[in-house]
Amino acid sequence: MNKKAFTGLFLLIVIAAASFRLADLGLRPMHHDEANQALKFGALLERGEYRYDKADHHGPSLYYLSLPFARILGADTLAALDERTLRMVPALFGVGVVLLLLLFVPLIGREALLWGALGLALSPVMVYFSRFYIQETLLLFFLVGLIAAALRYRRRPSWGWAAAAGSFAGMMYATKETSVIAFGAIAVALLLTRLAGRAEKEKGLPADSSRPRVRWEHLLLGAACAVFISFLLFTSFFQNPRGWLDSILSFQIYFVRAGEAGFHVHPWLYYFQTLAFSRSGAGPVWSEALILVLAALGMIAAFRGRPSPVAERTTLRFLVFYTGLSTAAFSLIPYKTPWNILPFYIGFIVLAGGGTAALLRSFRSRQVRAVVFLAVTAGFLHLGLQAWRANFVYPADPRNPYVYAQTSPDFLKLIRRVEELRAVHPDHEKMLIKVIAGPYETWPLPWYLRRFGRVGYWHEAASAGPPEDAAVVISDTRQAGSLESLLNGSFQSEYYELRPNVFLVLHIRADLWEEYLKSRSER
Amino acid sequence: MKKTVVFVLAIAAFSGMLASSQAVAAQEQGKEELKLQLPKPMFIGTPRNINSPNLEKITGKPRGTFFVPLGTKLVSLNKPVTASDMQPVIGEVSCITDGEKSGEDGYFVELGPGKQYVQIDLKASQPLQAVLVWHYHSQARVYRDVVVQVSDDKDFVSGVTTIFNNDHDNSSGLGIGKDKEYIETFEGKLFDPHETKARFVRLWSNGNTSNDMNHYVEVEVYATPAK
Repeated sequence: MNKKAFTGLFLLIVIAAASFRLADLGLRPMHHDEANQALKFGALLERGEYRYDKADHHGPSLYYLSLPFARILGADTLAALDERTLRMVPALFGVGVVLLLLLFVPLIGREALLWGALGLALSPVMVYFSRFYIQETLLLFFLVGLIAAALRYRRRPSWGWAAAAGSFAGMMYATKETSVIAFGAIAVALLLTRLAGRAEKEKGLPADSSRPRVRWEHLLLGAACAVFISFLLFTSFFQNPRGWLDSILSFQIYFVRAGEAGFHVHPWLYYFQTLAFSRSGAGPVWSEALILVLAALGMIAAFRGRPSPVAERTTLRFLVFYTGLSTAAFSLIPYKTPWNILPFYIGFIVLAGGGTAALLRSFRSRQVRAVVFLAVTAGFLHLGLQAWRANFVYPADPRNPYVYAQTSPDFLKLIRRVEELRAVHPDHEKMLIKVIAGPYETWPLPWYLRRFGRVGYWHEAASAGPPEDAAVVISDTRQAGSLESLLNGSFQSEYYELRPNVFLVLHIRADLWEEYLKSRSER
Repeated sequence: MKKTVVFVLAIAAFSGMLASSQAVAAQEQGKEELKLQLPKPMFIGTPRNINSPNLEKITGKPRGTFFVPLGTKLVSLNKPVTASDMQPVIGEVSCITDGEKSGEDGYFVELGPGKQYVQIDLKASQPLQAVLVWHYHSQARVYRDVVVQVSDDKDFVSGVTTIFNNDHDNSSGLGIGKDKEYIETFEGKLFDPHETKARFVRLWSNGNTSNDMNHYVEVEVYATPAK
C-alpha cells in the first residue's frame, strides 16, 4: 500500500473515531463514578485543591488533564462545567489512541495497522468508555504510548524512545493503580518475545534482526521520567509530599479489594462472555466476536514462519504474550467492571489488525481475496453499527452489556422537577434541599445539584433535623420509610428511578407544591 | 430602548437598596444572616450493578387480607379488552385477561409511550368488589399517573367513577389525584371500587420510571352478581 492511500484511509478512520466519540456527549445521564470524579475535579478547578486519596478515585492525571479543557471551554467553576466539557477529555484521548497507533507502522506494517485502527475506532466497548469521564481511556492512551515506545526502543534504542516510554509509564501510574498489571504483562511479554526469537534462530528460521542493545543510561532516563512525572502529579505539584508514598501504600487497599467478595465479583469468563456474545431478554444481540476471531488469526500469524514479515511477526508475538498475560490477570481477579476490558482488549484489536492482514495475504486468488476483504469490511461496519446503537440508542439501557450501575434517564426527570420548583420558590437556587440517602444512593445528585447553594447530605433521617425546614427532601426508599411519620402528610412525594431497581423519593413541601401547581395552571 | 434601559437600571438599583436596607435593618436589630454549614456528600466507589429480575418488595409490608362479600367472583377472565393503542409494541391486549401473571417475557403487553389506557368489558353491569392490576413485575418500577375508572358507558363520557388516581400534578389531564405512587411487585396493586356498579373498567398510565412505555401483565376484576 502506498503512503498516499494509507494517509487517506487512516484519516477517514480518525474521522470515524472522532465522530463516534465526540457526538452528543451529554446524552447519557452522569454515572455515579463520573459524578464523583467531576466533584473532585471541581475542587481542583475552583480552589486548586487536590490531595491523592489512596482509598479511592485512582490517580490524579484525569483531574490535571481536565484543567486545560475546562479553561479553553471557559469553565472556571464547578457550576459552569457541563457533561460535554468533562467527557471531552476522555473522548479526545480516545481519538488520541487511534493516532498513537501510527507509531506501530514500522512494527506491524501499514495494512495491519489500518485494520487495527478501524477496529479501535469502531469497537463498541472502546467507543462507550471513551465517552465516560473516568480514568480508563487515559490509561489506554498512555498504555499504547508505552507499548509503542518500548517496541520502538527495542527496534532502535535511543534516548528519545527511552524518555517517551518512561513518561508514558509515569502517566499510566498516575492514572490508575491497575497500571501495574500492564507493567508486569509488558515486562514478561518482552522477555518471552526475546526467548521465542532466540529459539527460532537456533532452529535456523528467519529471526528478527533487531538486537535489543539496552543501555543502562537509557533505562535510568526512562525510570527517572516515570518517577518524576508520577511524583509531580501524586504530590499535587509538591504541595502534598505524602501523595507519592500513599500511591504505593494504596496497593495494599486495592489488592484486598480486588480479591474480596463484594458488589463487583464476576466469574472469570465475564469479560470474554461480554465481548463474544451477550443478549438481555428480548434486547438486541451484542458481539465483538469478529475482533476475537481475527485476533486468533493474528496469534497464528505471530508463530508462523510465513507469510508474515519477520518484524511484524515479532511485534505480533509480543502482543500475543502481552494480551494473554493481561487478559489472564484481569480475568482471574474476582473484581470486574466492564471498563477494565480496555487495557487488555487493545491487544486483541491490534492482533486482529495483524490477523486480517495475514488472512488477506494468504489468498493467492484476487477474486477470493476480494470476497474475504468485503466480508471482513462488512464485519467491521457491523461493529460500527453496534457502537452507534450502544452509544446513541441504548446509552443507559441495561440491555447494553457495557451499561453498568448506570444512572437511569428517569433520574433526569427528578432533576427537571427540582429545577421547576426552584423557579417558583422565592429563594430560587438558595432553597434548602435535604438529601437523606445512603452513599450509593446519593450520587450523582451532588453533580446535578451543583448550582444550588443550600444542599445538605445525610445518611439517616434522624440526623437531618426537622424535614419541614427544607423546601425539598430527596431520600432513598429506606429513609422514605423513616421519614413518613416526620413528613406527616405535609409533603407531596414522587418516585424516580436512580438505577434499575433503585429509587429515589422526591418529597416536596405542600406550600411549594401548591405554588408549583398554581404556576402550571397559569402557564 | 433608552426608556427600557433606564427602567431596568431603576429596578436593579431599587432591588439593591431593598436588599441592603434589609441587611441594615437586621444589623440594627442585633441580627445577622445565619450561615448554615451543611454536610457534604461522601465520596464512594462504584455501586452495585443490578441487572437481574427482582421480585422482592422494596417498600411496604405484604398486603393484608382484603374482605369481600360472599359470592364474589372473578368476572374479568377472558373478557374482551380494548386499548388506546390497539397495535401494541409487544404482545396482544388479550393477554391482560388471560389469567397468566408471570413476570417473564411473553406474558405482558407493551403499549406505546405516554398516556395510554386499556379497557375491559365485563359484559354486564355489576357491583365491583376489587380490581387487581399487575403492570410489570420482573423489575421494580413505578408507573406514572395511574388512574382507574369504572363506568357503564363504554366511552366513559357519563357516569364515570374514579376509584384510584395518583396523577398528583394532573399531567395526564384527568384531574389531580390524591393517591400515592407505588412500586410494582409480584403481589399486584389492589384497588377498592367500593361496590360501584359498572360494566367497563378503564385503566390509565403514563409511562414508568424505566421508560416511557406502558405495560400490563394482567388485570383481574372481582364482582358480586347484579341483583
